[in-house]
Parts: sequence; C-alpha cells; structure tokens
Amino acid sequence: MVSPVALWLVTWCGCPSLFCLYRLNMAALLRSARLLKSPLFLVVPMMWTDLYTLLFCSLSSYTSALPCVSCRQYGVVPEQRGLVKDEPSVAVRSKQAQQFDWALAKLDSSVRRTGRVTKTLLLHIFHDICRTGYPSGNQALLMLRSCGSLLPEVPLVERIELSQRIWDKLQELGATYDVSHYNALLKTYLQNEFRFSPTDFLAKMEAANVQPNRVTYQRLIAAYCEVGDIEGASTILGFMKSKDLPITEAVFNSLATGHARARDMDSAEGILSVMKGAGIEPGPDTYLSLLNVYAEKGDFAKMKQTLEMVENADIHLMDRDLMQVVFSLTKAGHQQYVPEIVERMHHERGYVPDAMNLCLSLITHGHEETAFSVLKSFTGLLVQSQTSDSPDLGNFFLRHCVNMDKSVENIVRFCKDLKDSGLHSSPLQFTLQCSLEAKKTGMAVELMRRMKEEGVPLRPHYFWPLFTHYQKEKNISGTLQALRAMQELGVASDMDTFSIYILPSFPSVDSARTSLKVIVLDMCVFLLFYVTVLKHFGLITWVDNLSSPALPNVDLSAFRASLISGFRGVKLVLLSFFAENVAYFLYNLIDSMNETEVHSKEEQLREYFGLLKNMNISISLNIFRGIRNILESYQVPELVKLSCVSQIASCFCQGLEGKLSFLEKTLAELKAEGKTASSTLKKVITVLCAEEVKRALELKILYEADMTPAAYAMLINLCCRHDNAEEALKLKMELARKDSEVALDAQKYVALVRVLSKHGKLEEAIDMLKEMKEKDVQLRDGTISLLTLTMNTAAMKGDANSIRRLQEAIFTLGLAKPSSNLCSPLITCYLESGNYAGAFDATVEVHKQYNQMPKIHDLICGLVEKGDAELLQNVVEFLSQERGEMMMLYDLYFAFLQTGRYKEARKIIETPGLRARPTRLQWFAEKCIAAQQMEPLENMVDMTVKLFECDRDDMYHCLLRLCKETNDWQKAEATWMKMQEENLAPRERTLRLLADILKNNDKEVPFEVPEMTGEEMAVSINTHIQHHVLFIKTADPTTHFAISQTTVVFNQYPSSFCLLSATDHVPEFSLSDNANSLLIVSQVKRCQMKDALGTLKGMLQADQVPSQLAITRLVQGLASEGNTQDIQEVEALVKTLGSIKLSSMLFVNNAALAHIKNEDIDSAVELLQSFYIQNTDNQKSSISFVFRKVLDANNDAALDKLSAMVERLCNHFASYRAATDLFLMYLDTGRTEEAKFLLQRCAAVNEQKDAMFTYMLRAAQQPGQAAKIKALSELIPDFTEKENIYSHLVKCCGLDKDFSSAKALYERMQAEGVKADELTLKRLALLYKEAGEPVPFEEPPESFSFYADKLKKQRSESMEPADC
Amino acid sequence: MLHSQGLNMAATAAGKKVFEVFVSKVPWTVATKEVKEYFRQFGQVKKCLLPFDKETGFHRGFCWIGFTTEEGLQNALQKDPHIIEGARLQVQKNRKPFSGRKSNKEAEDN
Repeated sequence: MVSPVALWLVTWCGCPSLFCLYRLNMAALLRSARLLKSPLFLVVPMMWTDLYTLLFCSLSSYTSALPCVSCRQYGVVPEQRGLVKDEPSVAVRSKQAQQFDWALAKLDSSVRRTGRVTKTLLLHIFHDICRTGYPSGNQALLMLRSCGSLLPEVPLVERIELSQRIWDKLQELGATYDVSHYNALLKTYLQNEFRFSPTDFLAKMEAANVQPNRVTYQRLIAAYCEVGDIEGASTILGFMKSKDLPITEAVFNSLATGHARARDMDSAEGILSVMKGAGIEPGPDTYLSLLNVYAEKGDFAKMKQTLEMVENADIHLMDRDLMQVVFSLTKAGHQQYVPEIVERMHHERGYVPDAMNLCLSLITHGHEETAFSVLKSFTGLLVQSQTSDSPDLGNFFLRHCVNMDKSVENIVRFCKDLKDSGLHSSPLQFTLQCSLEAKKTGMAVELMRRMKEEGVPLRPHYFWPLFTHYQKEKNISGTLQALRAMQELGVASDMDTFSIYILPSFPSVDSARTSLKVIVLDMCVFLLFYVTVLKHFGLITWVDNLSSPALPNVDLSAFRASLISGFRGVKLVLLSFFAENVAYFLYNLIDSMNETEVHSKEEQLREYFGLLKNMNISISLNIFRGIRNILESYQVPELVKLSCVSQIASCFCQGLEGKLSFLEKTLAELKAEGKTASSTLKKVITVLCAEEVKRALELKILYEADMTPAAYAMLINLCCRHDNAEEALKLKMELARKDSEVALDAQKYVALVRVLSKHGKLEEAIDMLKEMKEKDVQLRDGTISLLTLTMNTAAMKGDANSIRRLQEAIFTLGLAKPSSNLCSPLITCYLESGNYAGAFDATVEVHKQYNQMPKIHDLICGLVEKGDAELLQNVVEFLSQERGEMMMLYDLYFAFLQTGRYKEARKIIETPGLRARPTRLQWFAEKCIAAQQMEPLENMVDMTVKLFECDRDDMYHCLLRLCKETNDWQKAEATWMKMQEENLAPRERTLRLLADILKNNDKEVPFEVPEMTGEEMAVSINTHIQHHVLFIKTADPTTHFAISQTTVVFNQYPSSFCLLSATDHVPEFSLSDNANSLLIVSQVKRCQMKDALGTLKGMLQADQVPSQLAITRLVQGLASEGNTQDIQEVEALVKTLGSIKLSSMLFVNNAALAHIKNEDIDSAVELLQSFYIQNTDNQKSSISFVFRKVLDANNDAALDKLSAMVERLCNHFASYRAATDLFLMYLDTGRTEEAKFLLQRCAAVNEQKDAMFTYMLRAAQQPGQAAKIKALSELIPDFTEKENIYSHLVKCCGLDKDFSSAKALYERMQAEGVKADELTLKRLALLYKEAGEPVPFEEPPESFSFYADKLKKQRSESMEPADC
Repeated sequence: MLHSQGLNMAATAAGKKVFEVFVSKVPWTVATKEVKEYFRQFGQVKKCLLPFDKETGFHRGFCWIGFTTEEGLQNALQKDPHIIEGARLQVQKNRKPFSGRKSNKEAEDN
C-alpha cells in the first residue's frame, strides 16, 4: 500500500524535491499532535460533525456537511460594519441578560424535547432581540448556532439566508463579533453545505481584526475537504503548523472525507494508519467519516467491513451517527441499503426524536419515500409512548409533508398506509387540519375531496380557517373560491359560516350581494341579506341610541315598528347574531313604552317573547328582573308569565347567598375552636442571669418559691450549654415534680438530649425524646439538625448502638421524618472505623427501616480505594435493585472520578441509554469546587460531552468557578477554546466569569464581556451614589459621560426630585421602566398632564412597562382635569400591555369622575349604569371611589343624580353594588342620616353582608374607626355575628388605646353572653395591663401572633373548599 | 311548571340551576352540532358552548355542556370513556359557572 504520508506529500507539495521538507513538517505535526496526548485533547473525540447541537447536548445533525460537489458557489463573509453604538443602558443590559436566559431556555427546551428548533421560534427570538436593540455578543452567538442542523424542517438555502440575515442585522444593531462568532458562522456554512471561499473568509476576519484560532482552522480544513480540495486543506494545515497549533482528531476526520471526495479512496482509508502513527486513536467520528464516504459511493461491502472494524475496535457508534449514514445513502441515491443500516440502530435514549428529525430532513430534501420507510421502522417505539385510545402516529410526518407541499397523491398514500396498519386513526383529517392551519386552500380542498370519496363526512366549520385567513387579508376572490369549493363538495353553509366568516370579508352589503349572487344558492343570499341589513341599520345603532338619554323621543315608535317587523322577517339570523345586545335592547324598548302602550302592544310583545323562546336567546338574570319589574308595575301579569315561560332569565347569577352561608359556617368553626382556653398562664421572666451557671443556680435556691417553669427552662438550657448533664437533668426532674404538665421548647429538649447522650445517659436522653412526643413538642429544621449533630458525636466515638437507639426513638416516636441527614451518622460511624462491611450492612438496614440511603458515595469510594471488588459488587447490586440502574451508575461514576479512576469512569458514563441527571452532576461539581479538586471535575466535564441532555454551559460554568477559586487563567483559557470547539453559546454569567479570571491575571479578554445585570450593578453603585448625585449637580449635563452616569444612577435610584431636575436639564436621558414610571408620577403631581402622557407613550414605544402606580396616578390626574378623551386613550394604550395588574375600575371610575368634573353628570350616570347592567360579573366592582370624590367635593347636583341611579339599579335591575357602595361611603364620611334614608329606599342593601363585613375588616385596620363600625352595626345589626363585631371593635380600641371603651365593651359582651376569641382576650388583657388594672379573666398564654395565625389558619382552612 | 320554576329562580336569585360539565380534548373535526348530538344520550342538553377562535377559525378544543337535570349530569359523568369519532373526550364536572361568559355559540334545547 502506498504510504499515506507520501501521498500527502504529493497532494500537499506537488513537488518531489520538497519531500524532505514535507517529512520534516509532518514530523513536526505529529510531534505537536503527540504533545497533545493529555487526556483532555485526545481522549475526547472532537466531533466536528455535530458540535453544534452540543450546545444543548442533544445531537441531531445528520444533515452535516456533506456537499454535492457540483454546486460550487462561493460565499463571502459578510463585511464587518463596526458601527460604534452608544453604550447600552443598565436596564437594557439587564434585559439582555434576562432575554438571553429566556431565549436559551426556550431553545433548550425545544431541543431537549424534539432535538430541533422551529423556524418560527427562532424568528420570534430574533425579532425580540432586534426589538430591544443592543444585541449582546452571546445573543448573536446563540442565534447563529441555531441556524444549522437544528432546523431539519428548513431547506438548506433558507437556512443560509437566515444565518446571513441574522449576522448582518445583529451587526448593524451593534453586536460585536469575536472569533467565536466567526467559528459559529463557519459551522453553519458546513452544516448547511454552503460553498464559500475559505481564504476570503480568513481575509474578512483579518479585516475585522479578529484572530482565527484552532477551531477556525479546523473548520476551514473541513470546508476544503467537503469539496475534495486537499490542497486547500494543506494550506490551512500549514497555517496551523506555523502557529504551533495542535492537530486533533477532527482534522484527520476531515482529511478522510477530503481524500474520498477527491476520489482518492486509498488515502482516505490510509488516514487510520496515519493517525495511529501519530499516536492518535481513531475515534467514532473517524469511522463515521469513512462510512459516509462509502455511503456516498454506494459501496455497501466496504460499509459492512467498516462497521465490523468499529465493533472490533470496541468503539460505539451512536444511533445518531448511523442516521447520518442513512442520510448520506439516501442523498446519493442508494436508498436500497437504508433498511440494513436502520436495523443496526440500538434505539438509545433520544432515539425517537432523532429518528423523527431524520425523517423531517429527508422530507425537506425531497426523499419522503425513504423518510416514510424510516418512519415505519420505528413506529413500534412510538406506540409505547402512545397513551390515547386512538392512535395518531406520524403526525409530525404528515404535517411536514403538508408544509413542504408534497403531492396530495403521495400524502394520501401515506395516510392510507398509516391507517391500514393501525398506526393512525384519522390521518386524512389530521392532514386536512395541517393544510388548513397552513392556509393551503388547494391542498385542503383536494384532501376533502378524497375524504368525501372515502365516505368521511365534511362539515361547514372545516372551511372556517380558510375564510378567517381570507377575511384577514380582505381577499374576496379567495373567500369566493373557498365558498365555491364548499358548494362543489356539497357542504351546506350554515348561519355561522355566513355571519362570522364570510360576510365580514366584504366591504359593503352591495359588494357582498353582487359577488355572492353569482355563485351562491338563493337561501344563502336571503340570509345574507337580512344579516347585513341588520348589521348596517340594525340593532347596534338601535341599542346605542335607545340607551342614550340625549335621544329625543320622537322617532322611537318608528324604530320600534321597523324593528318588530324586522324580527318577524329575520328571526334566527338576527337574534343569534346580536344575542348579547338583544337583552339590553329589550329592556330599553319596554322601558320606553308607557303603561297604555304596553297594554296595546301586548300582542306584539307576546310574539316577541315567543320568538325569543324559539330562538334560544337567553337574557341575563338582572336584565330579566328589570323587565319583569316594569311589566309588573304595568299590571300585565300575562306578559310577566310569558317572559318567564320563555325562559328569558337563565339564571347565571352568582350564588351570593351561598357565599354568605359559607362565611357563617367559617365563623361558627372559629368560635368552636377559639374557646378552648389554655390552662397555664405563663409569666415572662426576662433575664435571670446571663452566662453564670453557678450564680444562676444560687439564685434559684434563693428564690425557690418564685421559680416559674420558664425560669427552669432557661436554667436547663444554660446547663446544657455548659455541658453540665448532671445539673440539667436534676433541674428537669425538679421542674417535672413541680409541674408535670409543663413542656420545654423543642430546642431546649434537643439540647438536653444532646448533653445527656454525650455523657452516656442514653436512657435519660431517650426519655426526653419520649416526653417531647407526649407533650407534642414540634421540631423545626434547625432543631432536627441538632439531633443529627447529637448522633454524629456518637458516631465519632464509634458508638453505633447509641445512634441506633436514638434513631429508632426519633423515628418511631414520629418526632422527625427519616431523612438522609438523620440517617447518615450510623453509616459514618462504621466508615470512620474502616469497617466497610459494617457500613454496608448499616446502609441496607437503614434503607430497609427508613427508606434512606445516606453516605453511599463515601462508601463506594472507600471500597474502590480498598479494591474490595466483592463487597463493591454487593453494593452495586443492592443499589441498582433499590434505586435503579441509572442511579447506581452515577454513584459508581462519581466514585471512580473521585478516586481518579478515569478510564473506568468513562466506560460508565458512556453506557448506552444513560442520560444527564443535572442534580447529580451539579452535586458532584459542587463537591469538587468546595474541595478545589480540579482533576475530577475537569474529567467529568470532558466525559459528559455526549451525555444525553447534559447542560454544557452548566458544566463549563462549574469548571470556570473552580478556575476562579484557584485563579488558574491558563485552565480558564483552555476551557474557552473547548467551549468553541463544542460550538456552545455560553450564558452571560459564564462569559463574565471567564473574563473576570482573565482580567484578574492581566490577560486580554478575547471577546465582548456582557455587562452586569441591574441587580449586580446596584450593589456596586451603592457606594458611589453620593458622588454621582453631586456630580450631576455640577457637571455639564451635555457630556455623554454625564448622561450615561446619571442615567445609571437614576435608573437604580429613581427619586422624584432628581428625575425632574435631570429631565428638565437633559432631555435625552434614557430612563429605565422604574425611573420613567416615577417620572410620570412626579409629572402628574406637578399637574404636567401632557408631559406625563407623553412619557407614557414614549415608554410604550420603547417597549417599557409602566408601573401600576404610574398609570393610576395619570388616570386620576386626567380625571381631575375632566379629560375623558385622554383617559380613553390611556385605556386603549394600556390594554395592549396586558401584563400589568390594574384595578378593573380604574378607567370606569375616573371616566365617570371626569364627566362629573365637566358637569356632564348624565354621561357619568349613563356610564356607570350601563356598566352594572351589562355584565353581572361587574357586581363585584366597586364605585366607592366616585362617591368618595363627589361627597368630598360636596357636589350635591352629582350626588342627586347618582343616588337616583343607585336606586334605579337596585330596584329595577337587582344590582345592589352601587347602592351598597354609596351606603358605606355615607357611613364612612359620618353621614348617618343619609345612610339611613338610603337604606329605606334600597332595602336590599340590608342583605349585602359580604360588603359590610369587608368594610368592617378594612376599617378595623386603622385607628379611629370604632364609631363607624358601631354606626354600621346599629343600622344593620345582623350583618355579621356579634362575636365578630365585638372582636373588631376591641381591635379598634386597641389601635386607639381606648381602655375605657374597651372595658365597657367587655362588660357588654359579658352581659350579652358573647364569647370572645383568644386574640380578642389577648388584646383586652393588654389594654387592662397598660391601664394598670387587673385582668378580669385568664389571659391566653401564647403570643399575639400565635393566636392571629391560629385564626387565620382556621379561616383559610374553612375557605379552601370554596376555591375548588 | 317551567313557569313557576322560572319565577322561583328569579325570586330567590338562587343562581344557576344548570348542570354543567366541562369537556376538553374535543377533536377539531366536530363542531357544536356533533357535540350536542353526542351528549344528548345522557339527558336533555340545555346548552352547549364550544368557543371558536376567530383568529384561526378552529375551535379551542374545549366546551361546556349544560344539562337540564342533575340526572343528565350524573349520567354523563359516570360514562367512561367518552369517545366521539374515535377521539377520547375528557369530561369533568364544571367547577366555575359560565355566567357572563360571552359566546358565539349558545343553544338551548327544549
């Protein structure tokens, strides 16, 4: 065989006389390769084929760089337009960081689930980045890296266009590109089989002053090799050599492809021995390169041979690799071999999404037949994941066929196959859905035709998506075309189709009529006619006019007449179309008739109701009530009956009564529980003594009689702290003698347990635990860890017995649930003494008893170190039996890593089917970082490269964290290189960390460093704030520096003073969301309403989100100026935001106030009235704010009309909210007489107990409100239980420090037999004590918050069922 | 009888006396008509609300069915599985009454 070295010489130098030189070069190359035999470079195969997806560690790139040599278009690197942009603000930067994380998470989850990204998602993120402006470097990186094989659904040409567009656009927006970006761009070229000139590429990099690195050269070599240009590849190799860069496996793999593409199979095959000669072991990717070149040639014998070689070399080719081979075979037209390759798949973890992506790529490339055969090969796997009864396998396949406009012929055949083989229950329907979604009318109609042939029913709504589409586009001919198809297919169009989906496409009635006449059946035209007539002359105008008080009465009868006749004619169409408005219209109609009119029109109205009934119209309850009340007052009982018969009132009303009874129940429960009075009254002794045990004990003897349990508890604790077990125990026994009921708190008990067990008093310690149980002492986390500590002390003494006893007591008593921590001391006890067998037995024991498995890592490490294979085997078997094989493998893996047995570790982590467990990997990484163990961590990061679903950025971040700890910049730099080679887009935190390490060592940072987030910035700014504020006052505000500095300060610390003065001086400030919101508030305060509105608009344009407060203040300010128009504008503006939570009443209330301000009270009344009438839900919304303002302003004119409205709502519409609000507002402003009067006129307010109760709750929050609550309870004595009223009154007295009232209250409660809850007693007791009077009852022992919590808990517990 | 019920309901404001189920996973191929027809086997269907998305022209895959009687509701809840055109519906008791909810599709059976 010809020496590959010699061949190389010829291809490279082309001149025999340079043989020696070449040989020298080769030797140097090989030397440099040998130098690299550190585990990091050579052990890990550098996969150049799918580095890209390593970003998410889910590889899916079988569409890698396998070019068709014929298309030799050369691309040019886009020019770097180094626009210098202004420094982005802190807010933008922090938004960038958030956005990056968001985008990464989005893409990540997409790749994790499906192994791919959709174009829609990618574009969505891209546009989002563009919208914000100032794209960061790694946002750009993330985008670029998603433009390759992660898009199997997108044709190659489109992908390239996309990546170019992203490159140009982001650069234009100011993203700075470093070498990692160029490398990423190269990768997209390779993955998308884009032909370009590598030398031009290098020239562009040079022009942009970006230095290529090893990864750049490797990819350029790959690019040359793709087109079989070995000469070009050699040139680059020369570059690498001259820069002393190491040659890695990836280069050799490329060369194998290169030789083959240059039709030099001998050299291609020779690569293996060249590599071996250079001391580089060929990896899976080397063989994959060979397999791919054989596949392209259709040489199946060689392929088989290579596969055997792979097996013999103990190398594992992943399914994903084999899928690449399938792709190569298909593309080269050798599909016949595909089944044989498919059979060799192992069906590893992640196989299904990968296989799906293979199918998608094949379809994209026009090989849907092969794709279908691949699909059929793994449907068995899909079936397993199928949960529903009706199978729908292959949906993704059908959808992509639709998207790629495959012929209906083919698609129908696939559908038939899927259906016949029982894989899909309704493939045609699904495909139809896809084509409808994709708005492919032609395909959809064709599919429906097929469905009809097969006897599948077609329905009118199948056409709705098409109509919707055309309607949006105002595409009349499209609408007509769809309509025609509908008729041709014999689908009868129904009313909805016409009224909602067809008509709105037409600009006018006439145009619709003319267009439709031509093609539509008469019946349809008829319907259409009436609907449109109504729409244009009909109800909406009607209702609007009728409800407006301004409308003169003149034409009403004419309107009515035409409407009634309209009803007769139009029937169905009319009413369903305007169902919502009909009800309100009806009320207005009847309301506008006088009694005689009603009587004379009784027949017509009767007909009306009859029509309504027939037409399935329902009217909400409150409008029904309104109608009923009028009819009743007009004495037309027959009509009343009819209106009911016709079921106008479909009772949709919220069950107000239900809620009340529920509250009553809650209160009853509270009462029952609250009355269990505690037996002991605990006196608080503040400090008996500090740290002096002796002195304390002396004092105790001195004042023996005065010793309270609390004093004992403190003393006991003190003794425990001083490790005095004897005395502590003595005191405890003494205390028990004095009062056997008394319990210590958990912490003191545990302290006692600890000191007792430490001093060998195990039985006594266990007695304490038992006592805790008896007295129901609750343990918190802190105290539980004290227990662990107690047992660990025993472990250090090797006292396994004590630990067992304590453990048993703790768990069987139920003091704490068994946890890994609590169980670990027992294992530690054996491990400490080197008794591994004992440790294992203890592990089994603990697992059996408590289902815990602590200290496994330590145990396995010990066994590995000791080389005790037999016991290790037992442990492993035990683990995989109890926790599953996966967990066992991780345990073993970490143990091998920890003990430096990396070869074994690698074997384990490469186990097929193993997937990343982030928590476990993180656990080990943290362990390494804490212990500053670089070697095991580095090895873990390397070995997990191909681990399914491994978050690579997380891995590298951990590695860099350790580099930071040890300040190892060389390691950090090497890490960065590896990240590029993996084609990873690091998160910002990772880049910052890396930059930090480099900077600390005075090294150049070769990339743009993302700025800190706002939060981080705030901390660093804090110290400089004073300086900056001073600076703003003095500096020339026009300088850029001043602006950027002050912007930073304001955005972090917006204060209204600074903001106003700053924006006055420097109008070009760009402020953050918060600062702008504050600015609005300040402007409103200064009555600069126009400015404030301007600021808001500016914010919305800049995609900023104003605060709730800012909008509220602005709207209130506008109302105080009577500016209804701007209120409406703000409402419309804010509506688009969606995300902020505003009071639902903000706009209604303030619009009403604005009307009132303009002395247009009628408009205000109309607004509020229709608000309550039109929607039952609105009963919850309060207009107290309006009443408060009107009352405060003593606006009697407004008040008169408003109270008339309130009565109307209450008595005609059963809408009580407004009346209740007014009533309470009267009460609140001390207008008791008015309140009383209102109550007489609107008796139903009496029943609004919910609102009253809420009012009381709120009032009792602030001092000075007792009188209001009293007044309320006098007017409506039964609005809640007496206990409730009294407890809130007591609360008020407490707030007011009004002892005499409180005392009087308590006496009244006694006299009336009203029981007080514990919290109320607590409050009363405090008042008595503060007044220096004896407390006439037993004060509840616990704290205020204890009882408050108790009440709250009781309340929420009894609330819960309501929420379900 | 209906008459007195209606009056009674209004007078006590007892709220909804419709027995509703919430149905999800409704296949796109069926519309109100089909759904109503299906549920009629369990009792008289008073209303059927299957909202369509006017942006896309497809319905949203869920709907509410109101029976006139408790019995109808119970019958529907007891049946499992609910299969319509080969797709399995998820039927559960409606937790929130749909009062005030706007609809483009509402129907009553008498």
